Amino acid sequence: MSAIIKTTNLTKVYGNQTSVDHLSMSVKQGEIYGFLGRNGAGKTTTIRMLLGLIKPTIGEIEIFGENLFKNQKEILRRIGSMVEVPGFYENLTAKENLLINSKIMGIYKKNAIEEALEIVGLQDETKKLVGKYSLGMKQRLGIARALVHYPEVLILDEPTNGLDPIGIKEMRRLIKLLAEERNITILISSHILSEIEQLADTMGIIHGGKLLEEVTFDDLRKRNRRYIEFQVSNDNKAVMLLEKHFNIFDYEAHDDGNIRVYSYLGQRGKMNKLFVQNDIEVFKITMSEDKLEDYFTNLVGGGTIG
Amino acid sequence: MVNLLYTELLKLKRSKMFLISILGSVVAPFMVVVASYVHMKTENPAQLITFDEIFYETNLYTVLIIGVPLYGVITAYLFGREYLEDTLKNLLTIPVSRISYIMSKLVILFMWIMLLTLVSWGLTLFLGILGQFEGLSTLLIVEYLGRFIAGGVLVFILSTPIVLVAVVMKNYVPTIILTIVITLINVMSANSEHRALFPWAAAGDIANGTLQPTYPAEISYTIIFITSIIGFIVANVYFKKVDIH
Ligand SMILES: Nc1ncnc2c1ncn2[C@@H]1O[C@H](COP(=O)(O)OP(=O)(O)OP(=O)(O)O)[C@@H](O)[C@H]1O
Ligand SMILES: [Mg+2]
Repeated sequence: MSAIIKTTNLTKVYGNQTSVDHLSMSVKQGEIYGFLGRNGAGKTTTIRMLLGLIKPTIGEIEIFGENLFKNQKEILRRIGSMVEVPGFYENLTAKENLLINSKIMGIYKKNAIEEALEIVGLQDETKKLVGKYSLGMKQRLGIARALVHYPEVLILDEPTNGLDPIGIKEMRRLIKLLAEERNITILISSHILSEIEQLADTMGIIHGGKLLEEVTFDDLRKRNRRYIEFQVSNDNKAVMLLEKHFNIFDYEAHDDGNIRVYSYLGQRGKMNKLFVQNDIEVFKITMSEDKLEDYFTNLVGGGTIG
Repeated sequence: MVNLLYTELLKLKRSKMFLISILGSVVAPFMVVVASYVHMKTENPAQLITFDEIFYETNLYTVLIIGVPLYGVITAYLFGREYLEDTLKNLLTIPVSRISYIMSKLVILFMWIMLLTLVSWGLTLFLGILGQFEGLSTLLIVEYLGRFIAGGVLVFILSTPIVLVAVVMKNYVPTIILTIVITLINVMSANSEHRALFPWAAAGDIANGTLQPTYPAEISYTIIFITSIIGFIVANVYFKKVDIH
């Protein structure tokens, strides 16, 4: 798969602070790319550079295989975006706000605006001025505005900001739908790991302006396999029994009689029974936690995310 | 560009600013005509104030006193709202090129100033007829239409430094303070023979045909032109490079 967005050593320095630091990322055609980082990590700064709003101190940006700064106008026309909280003309209705975008872009498809409003469920708010919209409604309208010209790429900076749990779920459904049905490549930033995990195919982790890691979730799941941990009175005997009766070789024996079993996780009741029947005391059986959170915390350090 | 201008007009729909600006442009004709009328009716022996005088005074106040802050507020509004409502990042990523952005705003500002100029001229004419001032002729009407428009055009030409401040400061307040300072200088220099060197005061004199003989007219025209060009170039160069946060 080819890279749709590719940055090379992208860097932004403000005074003596490097907000984005030699960041090289690659977003592939058709994927949802989750751009994860804590507050102040440099997500918005990176996204503003991708959209030509701020100029990199150094570094290159290629979008659709072309240098952004050589062909900014044509490239941006093919992108839909929402940066931070979207801003609107508050004295206008949703339709009028979208009309501004479609007029400037020269979109003459008849129902483009209605269609965009319908996708985000705002088609019935025809009279209300945007100044009277709630935060969540503005957020959805921002998505509609990003979609009105049928972009090939969507760049969304924390689109679930300010949404309630149901709103977040709907946003997730919407983003997946856009990726699947319209085949839009999506770059979405967030400071919430679980949100990215539920949405993205690839995750880029930014911290202190640096891209610490760029991995696909397929790889990550392989790397972070789940296991059951037993604590038993006699681990040597226990693993022998596992090998003999369950044909399990995929285990690790740790200190204090702890055994981690990586396969046949569903058979843990039977394993337990086998141990007990063979006079092995079982002190503990636990399923591994999802290790993704630990993985992220280890990478970026510190206790909490965001 | 036509579509861009259309969207600039659309942005003004339901905007209170439009009405407020009309009210602002009504002030000068209203005050001049009413004051002249009262003066004429109460003074003894009855003093004659001609149509020529009320046109002249309205234009003088419009260009030198009301115009600069009023059009400055409009400039501040046109540019400032894109920051206040945080819509600039959308516009520039549609994308609207940075130069067309400034150009479209300038065109709207020009149309707006012309409209207010015509309101001010038309209202003076209307109120003057109501008050039955003497000396009205087609020639006078046309002559002052020309002078009002000249005043409006000159103040517009001189709006580029104000645009620069609006774009750099991103806020209404400094822009409005600047226009108040300009107005103050206009007022203070009203009796100075050197006022032709201050572009905004010179604009008032050119519009009313009252340039002082102290300096040749070319000096005033050149100063106005240079002020405008510098404002225009610096505003565009600055805006082309600036990071949009
Ligand atoms: N205009 C600016 N001038 C100076 N420093 C800035 C500027 N804009 C951003 N920064 C700094 O750059 C760093 C990255 O900011 P950025 O907004 O990109 O973070 P973020 O990942 O989007 O964070 P959040 O999750 O809070 O939105 C921060 O330390 C911020 O203070
Ligand atoms: Mg941010």
